[in-house]
Amino acid sequence: MLKYALRKLLLALPLILGVVTFIFILVELSPGSVADKFFTPETPPEVRQAIIAKYQLDQPSFVRYLAMMKNLLFFDFGRSMAQERPVFEIIFETLPNTVLLSAVTLLVIYPTGIVIGSIQAVRHNTPIDTGLSIASLLLFSMPGFWLALMLQLLIGFYWSGWIEGQVAAGAMSADVAMYLTLPLSGMQDPMLELVGGSRWEVFVDRVKHLILPGVAMGLASAGSTARYMRSALLETIRQDFIRTARAKGLRERTVIVKHAMRNALLPVITLIGLSVPYLVSGAILIETVFAWPGMGRLILNAIYTQDTPLIIACFFVFTVLVVLGNLLADLAYAVVDPRIKYD
Amino acid sequence: MIRSVLRLLPALALVACSGGASDAPSGDGNAADAGKGAASQTRDSLVVAYQSDIGYLNPVVYETAADSNVLQNITFPLYWPDFDCSIKKSPGWAKSWEWSDDGTVLSMELRDDLSWEDGKPLTADDLAFAYELVSDPAVGSPRTNSVENMTPDGRPKIVDATHIEWHFTHAFDRDTQMAHAGLGAVPKHIFSSADRATLRGNENTNKPLSYGPFRFANWKPNESFVLEPNPNFTGPDEFKPKLNRVIFRIIPEYSTRLIELESGKVDMMEQILVEDADRLREEHPEIRLVRRGWRSMDYVAWNLTNPLFEDVKVRRALAMAMDVDGMIEKLLTSKTGESYGRRSIGTITPALCGVHHNDLEPINQNVEKAKEMLAAAGWKDSDGDGVLDKGGKKFSFTLSTNTGNKRRSSAAVLIQAQLKDVGIEVNLDQAESNTFFQNLRKREYEAALAGWSAALFVDPSSFWQCDKPEQKNEFNFTGYCNAEVDALIEKGLSTPNPKDAAPIWKELQEKIYADQPYAFLFWQDEIVGIHERFENTTIDVLSNFNRLHEWEVPPEKVKYKR
Repeated sequence: MLKYALRKLLLALPLILGVVTFIFILVELSPGSVADKFFTPETPPEVRQAIIAKYQLDQPSFVRYLAMMKNLLFFDFGRSMAQERPVFEIIFETLPNTVLLSAVTLLVIYPTGIVIGSIQAVRHNTPIDTGLSIASLLLFSMPGFWLALMLQLLIGFYWSGWIEGQVAAGAMSADVAMYLTLPLSGMQDPMLELVGGSRWEVFVDRVKHLILPGVAMGLASAGSTARYMRSALLETIRQDFIRTARAKGLRERTVIVKHAMRNALLPVITLIGLSVPYLVSGAILIETVFAWPGMGRLILNAIYTQDTPLIIACFFVFTVLVVLGNLLADLAYAVVDPRIKYD
Repeated sequence: MIRSVLRLLPALALVACSGGASDAPSGDGNAADAGKGAASQTRDSLVVAYQSDIGYLNPVVYETAADSNVLQNITFPLYWPDFDCSIKKSPGWAKSWEWSDDGTVLSMELRDDLSWEDGKPLTADDLAFAYELVSDPAVGSPRTNSVENMTPDGRPKIVDATHIEWHFTHAFDRDTQMAHAGLGAVPKHIFSSADRATLRGNENTNKPLSYGPFRFANWKPNESFVLEPNPNFTGPDEFKPKLNRVIFRIIPEYSTRLIELESGKVDMMEQILVEDADRLREEHPEIRLVRRGWRSMDYVAWNLTNPLFEDVKVRRALAMAMDVDGMIEKLLTSKTGESYGRRSIGTITPALCGVHHNDLEPINQNVEKAKEMLAAAGWKDSDGDGVLDKGGKKFSFTLSTNTGNKRRSSAAVLIQAQLKDVGIEVNLDQAESNTFFQNLRKREYEAALAGWSAALFVDPSSFWQCDKPEQKNEFNFTGYCNAEVDALIEKGLSTPNPKDAAPIWKELQEKIYADQPYAFLFWQDEIVGIHERFENTTIDVLSNFNRLHEWEVPPEKVKYKR
């Protein structure tokens, strides 16, 4: 299995190289450059020249490409042109925020999807199945930004506003309300840190800020996961060993949870690794709507300012994550299904 | 066009602010603790929903409006600006100032009681050091125009500890001279050995040292930044802040900022759309809507290198075919009838009321006359297809605008319909802002619907001056060139007294309007929403955060008690 993993990783190298090259070409082809940001109508020619020379924008593209490739070989992403800080430092600040949000999103996608799909399979062809089918298709086809705005409006604005109204009217204590309201956007309440909130307050605050973006990002995928789970479980339930288990007189719950689910989960687990690209692309939108300071917004800003080193580094990180996600999916498959062996 | 608008901001911010920067003492907690003192019981906090993060907090290289908003509050500028038709100045770091008779030397007497946040005294040396950095091409400062006309080497002459002199190569507009002197100080003891080519990325750039009423505290990139009262402020007591802290939350999405404002989670938001202002007024009496006059202008630029737009009569006919008043009514007027737009006749904002040409009659819509003028210029519909033609060529062009601006795309559609009535075919095109702006600078477009933000002192040279042999005037998008206009610009800029310059600028506006290189459309007000509990909010044309130290909340209305 180790050999397999290493071979997979080696094969990923040309892929990463290709992605980086492709992105570089795209940035080169797009009009303007990062230097435009520093020019004003009054900038005199010698200062313009100094700025252009500083970013080596007067060099031919392939010279800059080769220099960049050489640096990438040593994992040196260089300095962001727009921020003039090491790119590594910027990514290091930002990546954990996105990883946190992604983790919560996965927590929304899989448990929800698996539970809904299983209920549907067990209650096959009942009104519950049909209802949940409609619901999951509805979620699946809902545009992410719309769902995000609706969640903000309904939960963050009306519901939380109503709770706060109750507190103001004295009908509810603020301590209880703290657990019932959800913030509209952001990663934390900046006030809390400044006034020295307790650890518990800070923790609750962080969890609350994660819920809406996590749900907005995960719900659509939860819908599709439910579809996968439903069909996988349905297929498993029809198999002989399930009939055997039932014939043994096992409780239905044991049959489903212990025997059927374990097998049906197989295709679903592989989905986890494959959902990395979605977590990345979805982040751009959700992070913007919910003002979440993550990689999605970072890359968007980098593209706007045509900050080549930062764009390349972001895509590099994304590609590596996608490759790792795929590998993880493959390996997970082998772990769950003892019949599969990689040599 | 957002970018070109931003590009003009420094010109404006230059006046609004004077800066100081770099390195904060590591004890962020100290000031936070100081803020939690007994006095905080009666002082409130302000939470602002802000669109974008800070860039560089150094007066030499700052770029964005966020940067200048911070800098103007963590420094004690040479003079405090107020706006009333022009920039009025009251003493700041400079106690007094005077010009030599020939208008080339500006002498100032400085206060001696100010100090940097870290306890080091603030000296004229720090000011001279900032100008040394601006003058150094390695820094690549966007403020180099401030030092262009300073002798001998682009920095003030230090007479003694409290007296400095600014020597200019020649006498010119005194407001501009003052603005050029107003950049602000950089702590020499921190930056003297800094690498100048990477000044923007210097570790101390975004830990600026304050010498003003507030200090910069607690920056979380892309998330929030905070201003707190500067505990080591040594200036006069009346400049001590009356707020506990000011939190800027960075929220890129407009609708999110708006819903945060409506829910009361943030207290203030800029650039509210006209249609939302109506609703806020009805449903949220607790939010005060403040109007910032004539902050930006939309126009249609005709590419004068294109034969279609060569003839000034044709350009006048085009202007006559458009219904600008109708656009203002449709796009910038609320349902309750409040108008946030005003017709534009040039690039000088009506806010500069002494200079703006109020008597110039704008060209009004007159479809019949426009048709006649076009016919006189040889444009007739000879093949009966509804589109004018001349010499076998149809009068058809592409009007481009940038994506992401609803007002502009609606205006483009209106223009398309109005020009169709006189027999001109307009194709619409939208380009992403970077591309659009690049095309404008290269003059690779036919007609473009774009905008400028208002500069608060007059310098029309970048829009209208002819290309120089050695350098194209990049922001003169239309390629306009009129020797008389150039002469007026030179004359206006070298007139020291703004009162004497006013007639020159009025003549300039007449000449350019007659030439119609742009179809000038409208100026717009910016709408700012702020919670009513804040008083003495000095939101003005200069800045939304001018004199933040004067803002206060009556004790009984304080919301954030800790």
